[in-house]
Amino acid sequence: MSEKKTMVKPVGIEKSKMGIKRQFNQVIDTMYFELKRNYKKFILLLGFYVGIFLLFYLLNETQEAQGVETPDDPEEYILTYLANIGTLIIISTAALGGAIIAEDFQKQTGNLIFPKISKNRLLTGRIIVRYGFNAIFICIYFTLIAYVTDYKYSEVPETLIESMLWALLYTFMIFTFVVFLSSINKSPSAAIVISILLLLVVAHVFEMLLFNMNLDNEPLFLITYYEKIIPASLDMPNPRYEDVSLTSREEGEFIEIRRWITPSKIDALIGMLSFAGIFLLFAYIIYMIRQSKNE
Amino acid sequence: MNENDKNEVLIQFKGLTKKFGSLYAVSNIDLEIKRGEIVGFLGPNGAGKTTTMKMMAHLLRPTKGEIWIRNNGELVKLTSRNKSYLLDNVGFLIENPAFYGDMTARQILSYFARLKGYPWKNLTARVEEVVGMFGLSEWIDKKLKIYSKGMRQKIGILSAIIHDPDIIVLDEPQTGLDPKARKEVRDFLLKLKQMGKTVFLSSHLLYEISKIADRVAIISHGKLMAYDNLENLELKTGKSMLNIELLTISEETLDDTLQKLNEVVTPLTGLETQLSEVKYNQDSEIFEVLFDGDPKTQHKIFRTLFENNFNIISFSVPKATLLEYLFINYTDEVREENE
Repeated sequence: MSEKKTMVKPVGIEKSKMGIKRQFNQVIDTMYFELKRNYKKFILLLGFYVGIFLLFYLLNETQEAQGVETPDDPEEYILTYLANIGTLIIISTAALGGAIIAEDFQKQTGNLIFPKISKNRLLTGRIIVRYGFNAIFICIYFTLIAYVTDYKYSEVPETLIESMLWALLYTFMIFTFVVFLSSINKSPSAAIVISILLLLVVAHVFEMLLFNMNLDNEPLFLITYYEKIIPASLDMPNPRYEDVSLTSREEGEFIEIRRWITPSKIDALIGMLSFAGIFLLFAYIIYMIRQSKNE
Repeated sequence: MNENDKNEVLIQFKGLTKKFGSLYAVSNIDLEIKRGEIVGFLGPNGAGKTTTMKMMAHLLRPTKGEIWIRNNGELVKLTSRNKSYLLDNVGFLIENPAFYGDMTARQILSYFARLKGYPWKNLTARVEEVVGMFGLSEWIDKKLKIYSKGMRQKIGILSAIIHDPDIIVLDEPQTGLDPKARKEVRDFLLKLKQMGKTVFLSSHLLYEISKIADRVAIISHGKLMAYDNLENLELKTGKSMLNIELLTISEETLDDTLQKLNEVVTPLTGLETQLSEVKYNQDSEIFEVLFDGDPKTQHKIFRTLFENNFNIISFSVPKATLLEYLFINYTDEVREENE
């Protein structure tokens, strides 16, 4: 490649003016850049989703080979694949979203990007691509489920699509939570680890605690509670809770504890969208505050 | 560029102030930068250089004061509302940011050019052209994580000019570079000036600034201590610096030589203090003489040294040394004020 040592001022090159078209193009350019930056992570995580699916498939096949009966209903069969969908979503959203804001502070890349683009357009481009990757994982995972279900039962329940839509919404909410954590952390690694710990461990323990406290109120304030609608929407239970009888310490006495199986559709829709909006708003505000504090 | 253009103010700071808590990072700075000039922004670490540049980039908001930038022929006050279009014609490199290591120079520069509205059809040619300016064409498609620090710094500078802005703001672009790379950057900045670009450049590398800057702003503890070209600063202080290099200096004879030089030269410096005005710089192995800056005094000192059989091999008034003197003088002034 020959070196061009001379410096020539570009003549007649008209740059596009700042306006709605340029702003829109900035989002598109950011998306294109993000696609190139994250495609390796995307392939890795896609392999992870497919690998988990294959493990469940092998598990089902092994059990069948050992004489365990295959469920009569395709919904029940599908449930075996959705048992850990929440964990999968948490891992992939944390891996793709943990660095979304924190890296700009850790590497000072913010000083390169701004003021070339505003924070909201940058975040929009990044969120669309990284959430888009997560959405593709979910769609592929459900497509694989649909494929094996069709192979086994010669039918696929229509509710599987509804379940997938809930999974996409839940993924979006969890992703916004990770974005929020990324805005308050200094390093992407910390944001990823804290996201996984909070969503997998702390939320689970908190849920157990609420169960033991025997509260009648539905835990709509717990973001991981909304995960339950993904499998439940295959065959929505009525009522959406069950009363579990537990033996008391005193002999012969029972105590009843209410366990919530799933939120209602309307509660899930409003709850997840509200949480997502709040997390995004806070993430944006914190991003601006940290930048203005010269971090 | 005609004379009118040369005197046209492109950037103006009016009482620019930034406070962090009770600390004044930048205090009441008034400054004007004219079209086509290179302005060196000098100050020790923590003086407020980066904070000033961040305010210009609207990454930080001034606590008080205003920044005005010329747009479509008139100076316009920088605000949150107009920052997008007002800063469109400005290229920034603030601090020493890390890059996305998994990306190539081509990908990063293309992205930045696109963000600034550079058209797709000219993009490849433009990226290849600017990368070629630093002789990095062979590296254009290699990932930045394998670049040396100096190469990354050059890409940083290119990221500020990729969209062909008229105003270029660079924060310590030569810090951490080896002498060869520093010279490359220096030559590059001079080329930008030739192209009619206006460069606002912060640094604490006095030599580099003295070589390229048309005017120098010295900032210390957030206060602007001086702003002028070097000749005028020299006149204002009434002092200048002479460098004298002798043929041979051994450690044993150094003290004697220094004493003798002081005896001969100090009465001739034209300064009132009549203290020892000759110092020896261990690093450069050069004797530095503070004098009144008058060429007649300079000639008198040279003739006297010659008559006294000093084996002079070089005798000069380098700008960098003067700048160093002015820099220390002004920054000490603030330190004393604060104490």
